[in-house]
Amino acid sequence: MAKIKQKGKAGAAKAYVTRTAAVRKLQCSLADFRRLCILKGIFPREPKSRKKANKGSSAPTSFYYAKDIAYLAHEPVLKKLREHKAFAKKLSRALGRGEWSSAKSLEENKPIYRLDHIIKERYPTFIDALRDIDDGLCMAFLFASLPSTSRLPPELIENCVRLSSEWQLYVMHTRSLRKSFFSIKGVYYQAEVMDQHVSWLVPYQFTQSIPPDVDVRVMMTFLELYQTLLGFVLFKLYTDAGLVYPPPLDSKKEEGAAGVGAYSLQKVTPVQPATIPQTQNADSVRASSKAVQRAIKSIGSSATKEAGLTADTPESPEDIDEDFVPHQSTSDSQSVATLPTLKSISSLPQTLTTNLFAPYTFFLSRESSRPIFEFLVRSFGGRIGWPASSGNGSPVSDDDESITHVIIDRPLVERPNETAEERSRRLRRKYVQPQWVVDCINAGKILLEDAYAQGKTLPPHLSPFGERDGAYDPLAGDQIEDSDSESEEEPVAEEEGEEEEEHTAKLSATRAIDLGDMDVTEDSEALRAAELAAEAAGVDYGAFEKAVSKSGRKSKTTNQTVEEGGDDMNKMLMSNKQRKLYEKIQHSRRKRDSERAVIEAKKRSLQKKAKRESKTPK
Amino acid sequence: MPGLEVESKRRKRRHEEGQDELDAEPSALHRNGHLEMLSDDEDGNDIQSDDGQVDQFPEIHTESDSEEEEKEETSDEEDEEEDEEDKDEDEESDSASDSAESLHVFPKAKTVMSEITGQPKLVYPEIEPDYDSDSSTEDAPNRVGDIPMHWYDDLPHIGYDVNGRKVLRPARGDELDKFLQTVDDPSSWTAAFDKNTQMDKPLSAEELDIIHRLYKGENPDANYDPYEPTIEWFTGKGKEEVMPLSAAPEPKRRWVPSKWEKQKVMKIVRAIRQGRILPSKPKSKAKFEFYSIWNDTPSTHQPPLPAPKPPLPTNSESYNPPEEYLPTDEERKRWEETDPEDRERDYLPQKYSALRLVPGYDQFIKERFHRQLDLYLAPRVQRVKINIDPKTLIPKLPSPNNLKPFPNYKSLHFIHAKGRARCISVSPDGAWVVSGDEEGIASLWEVNVGREIQRWQFEGRIGLIEWCPRLDVSYFVVGTEEKLHFLIPPNITNAVLSLTQSLLAPSSLPPPPNPTPIKWNSVSPNHWSLDKPILTLALPDSSGLPIQAHWHRKGDYLATVSNSKTHGGVWIHQLSRRHSQAPFKRIKGTVQAVLFHPLKPHFFVATQQYVRLYNLSEQKLLKTLMPGIKWISSLDVHPSGDHVIVGGYDRKLCWFDLELSDKPYKVLRYHTRAIRSLHFHPTYPLFASSSDDGSIQIFHSRVYNDLLTDPLIVPLKILRGHSVKDQLGVLQVRWCGKHPWLVSAGADGHVVVWCS
Repeated sequence: MAKIKQKGKAGAAKAYVTRTAAVRKLQCSLADFRRLCILKGIFPREPKSRKKANKGSSAPTSFYYAKDIAYLAHEPVLKKLREHKAFAKKLSRALGRGEWSSAKSLEENKPIYRLDHIIKERYPTFIDALRDIDDGLCMAFLFASLPSTSRLPPELIENCVRLSSEWQLYVMHTRSLRKSFFSIKGVYYQAEVMDQHVSWLVPYQFTQSIPPDVDVRVMMTFLELYQTLLGFVLFKLYTDAGLVYPPPLDSKKEEGAAGVGAYSLQKVTPVQPATIPQTQNADSVRASSKAVQRAIKSIGSSATKEAGLTADTPESPEDIDEDFVPHQSTSDSQSVATLPTLKSISSLPQTLTTNLFAPYTFFLSRESSRPIFEFLVRSFGGRIGWPASSGNGSPVSDDDESITHVIIDRPLVERPNETAEERSRRLRRKYVQPQWVVDCINAGKILLEDAYAQGKTLPPHLSPFGERDGAYDPLAGDQIEDSDSESEEEPVAEEEGEEEEEHTAKLSATRAIDLGDMDVTEDSEALRAAELAAEAAGVDYGAFEKAVSKSGRKSKTTNQTVEEGGDDMNKMLMSNKQRKLYEKIQHSRRKRDSERAVIEAKKRSLQKKAKRESKTPK
Repeated sequence: MPGLEVESKRRKRRHEEGQDELDAEPSALHRNGHLEMLSDDEDGNDIQSDDGQVDQFPEIHTESDSEEEEKEETSDEEDEEEDEEDKDEDEESDSASDSAESLHVFPKAKTVMSEITGQPKLVYPEIEPDYDSDSSTEDAPNRVGDIPMHWYDDLPHIGYDVNGRKVLRPARGDELDKFLQTVDDPSSWTAAFDKNTQMDKPLSAEELDIIHRLYKGENPDANYDPYEPTIEWFTGKGKEEVMPLSAAPEPKRRWVPSKWEKQKVMKIVRAIRQGRILPSKPKSKAKFEFYSIWNDTPSTHQPPLPAPKPPLPTNSESYNPPEEYLPTDEERKRWEETDPEDRERDYLPQKYSALRLVPGYDQFIKERFHRQLDLYLAPRVQRVKINIDPKTLIPKLPSPNNLKPFPNYKSLHFIHAKGRARCISVSPDGAWVVSGDEEGIASLWEVNVGREIQRWQFEGRIGLIEWCPRLDVSYFVVGTEEKLHFLIPPNITNAVLSLTQSLLAPSSLPPPPNPTPIKWNSVSPNHWSLDKPILTLALPDSSGLPIQAHWHRKGDYLATVSNSKTHGGVWIHQLSRRHSQAPFKRIKGTVQAVLFHPLKPHFFVATQQYVRLYNLSEQKLLKTLMPGIKWISSLDVHPSGDHVIVGGYDRKLCWFDLELSDKPYKVLRYHTRAIRSLHFHPTYPLFASSSDDGSIQIFHSRVYNDLLTDPLIVPLKILRGHSVKDQLGVLQVRWCGKHPWLVSAGADGHVVVWCS
């Protein structure tokens, strides 16, 4: 006879522990447990059956893996937390007794935990870490904008400012910014670092106050982790890029609100590797006289450095010129035939986008936010200047002749008393609204400035991250309307790659449609025959496809009713499980479609309204 | 303590005074005692006088003795002086005592002539009580003592004085007098009523002072000084004790340095020398240095799954979205009314004409916080995202077009004007249909044309109509309340008619078998007309309406089910022997339907939830099918006899493969209301189901002979055309024997023929 199995000795009952049990096992307070969970990235799990995991009780509890908790028991941080508890007791005792000297010595030997082992454990490879810095960056940027209070010590804010600036510097230096988006919540950025898309959100520059229902302790614990993580990630990024980390900070510039400009990127000189760590230490620990001198020098050469950065890629303007020349209409078959080399693949898109603003010099009017636009413009190779009211360290002054664009966010005003020189300067420059910069970045090309001129009503600002599939696409609506007037040659003017992608997408789409068709047997055969006929006649494949899809759309409407009847009947024979799944999918589709229909209806009514308004004055 | 001391001194002094002359010796003793008492004091004085010299000359005893003697003398003198002062005070306080003291101890009596008796008597002077004598009876004229004075309320006197004379009640004025007295006498408020003398007695100045002090919360004694200087009797300067309490020598540890302490200190010193302890440790404030943490080889264990990233913003989050994204007032209101956790989006799209007009987002920190809560408090579940075309889930079945023929249109309909067409039956040759309704009308009409040939009227509603499957005879059975009527249709050949007549009303009745409660009443062919049933079976009383009947394929046996609760209502009638029998003595549950197996001597009985298969020849239960239906409405068996379909009022249709299992091979639920009727086509691979939703579903059902191939069920067509009346739809469907045509009877009174 087999051994009788006792209840609760194996399976889910052993694999999961409740939170209370975990706290009791670790012999720490709940607050400490939470802190540990945050630091170690341990989160509750959902057992398949809550009853089985909780010994038959169905009380609402959160479950953790027993293994996770067992690992936590060996955590050095837990030990440190216990030490800290003892320390706190000792300290309060000493303070209560008025033993100041012993309190002081206790305070000096306060236990401090380090998180580097946790970073290593949670992110075994650098890519893992890089993939997970989104939240960290958001937090760093948020706390960099917060005022320091009794709960937020100024060192913390300073560190956040430093980390966020270092990240921005790195992104600017490597030109890895890809997309940006002005949202009502803040500015979204997306950078591509080591093939990882890192996106972060920066709030607009307004004073934030921490709402009372937010637990600051939790945020601080997360921030602790993120600070360490960001530090290590930035160290790795900087050293891989051959830069000194941490970049030396010029305190004088920082006091003048130079922002990112207060840090100077320094190349690691490989000639004297022995001396570098020394200087590095000196810089990081405290500014020695030597370092100060060097910093002063770097200030002097900041402008030249800028030039140097642009000079790093001297061929860039030519590239851009080439790109904006519309390609000759190469036929699709040819472009498919020419195999892209590795070099062309790696170089082409980068030169396209990263040096977008290289030929231009921008000047920022004082109402637009300097940190945003300095970051945006400089990460696409442009030069930018700003008035002294936005902080010092501007490389370009107001009356510089090289300024091509002025980013201005003011309504248009009359300028009665304007000197001729000012007027000529004004006419030479292009005045654009801030959205132009971001739209250019997202489009990957310089857009016409007219639509974004000062005082004009801006075109809608769309998300570069796209919508969920199947959602309403504001651009598609236009295309459907204009599809008749739109000639086929127009999209060719755009980049070839995109065209190609579109094409393949179309192809696959139609194919999918074909496959999805229920009357496959007849239709596909007919299609193939028609295709052969078209090929024989020498009709372009693309044109043929379009015709097919058009006709398909027409025929589909008629076919659909017949088909659906058959499908409905076949649904009877689905198993229960399949039926439920099917219903779920259909439900979500219907919901999405209805959402889309609502927006489309709104658009139609808006268009009607606009038409009526345009007619009435006439 | 000092006060007590003083009093005791006084007492002693009085003793001395009293007994001075009596004995001189005790006074000397007394003095010695007195000296002893003060010796401490003198010592203190002594020490005070030579403070620092105590240690220097501890052993000079003789001198100290002599000094003491001298001191004794001086102290004596002082004492005497004190005594004299005390005497003075006494004299001042009461001179009477002085005079008494100056006299003898026992006062002399005077001889006086008594006023009352007129004889001389000795009168002693009145005793003047001393300080400590009871003063309460001092000069009270009334000597009644401490009694309730209201005893004297009704008497003219208030007591007796010391000589036994009555003390008369003093005159007391009325209230007006009292008032006048208070007005006249300014000091009357200082008087208090004395109960003993029954009159107001002015309070003395001392008494008033006491009252005043009590009123102020002070000590009532005027002489009491709460701030008296402390008299240090045993402590203070000059009175320190020098003599040790114990004679034990001082232990060594008091002055020898500790060995253990030294060892401890040396341990620390050694540790410092060896560098194990840093005395001035550099502060741990030194900044945390980052290093290349990922340079060494990565650990082999799997990294934890990365947290899901928050979704990226869409167009509606833009500060300047296309106008169609902006919410209408209605949408805005709805958004505001929903709880924050129920909202689909945590923001409302807004449009700003310029970037400078965009305000700060007030929910920013909260959103970050919620994200963090999600990260560490929310359980994460890995879900496989199903990204499939839902159409692939629908099973691929052959197209209905390839499975023709099947009925797909309504060719004609026959109307029962009055009631619901409850039941129908198609003749075995497929040319005639008999339909019965709830008003008791049974109509015979042609399938092709729909023309009514004959109509029969019965009492009560018709529960069943079933045509005998035999081809050589032609008749059908109609079930009404507790009766089964056998009818012969018109327009049949004479041969068939005569055979039918001889079958149903034989000239010589077979011998009546065992008595049954069922009566077989035949009408002789001579008296028979087309309007009347030729044979009527009277079912037992209170057996109710027969609801279902099934002919055995040979047409000799007929099984009927009645809707009464008694006996299960199942009867099998044998035509040739004119005999009926109840196959089951008792049956569990109410029987819904019965069926003969098309090939074997088996019998299906459907109760409310189960279908039982009996072997009639062996008289035993073969199988119990469990369709899992709450209430079975109908069942039919495939002509091959291996497959059974069961329909239920809970919309389910179950297909059983009898070879396979007791559980259904397939459960279909496609009707929206209860299934009423099922029928397999006798020759075509078709079956139909009808439902209360007014629709008829036609299925293709191909059954294969090899056991490995599953039966193929293909839904072919939904026939709609019946209207739903009183929540009843199509009540019965029957196939026309040789064609793929379907006849259906609906609750709306229509009987419809569906053709292919």
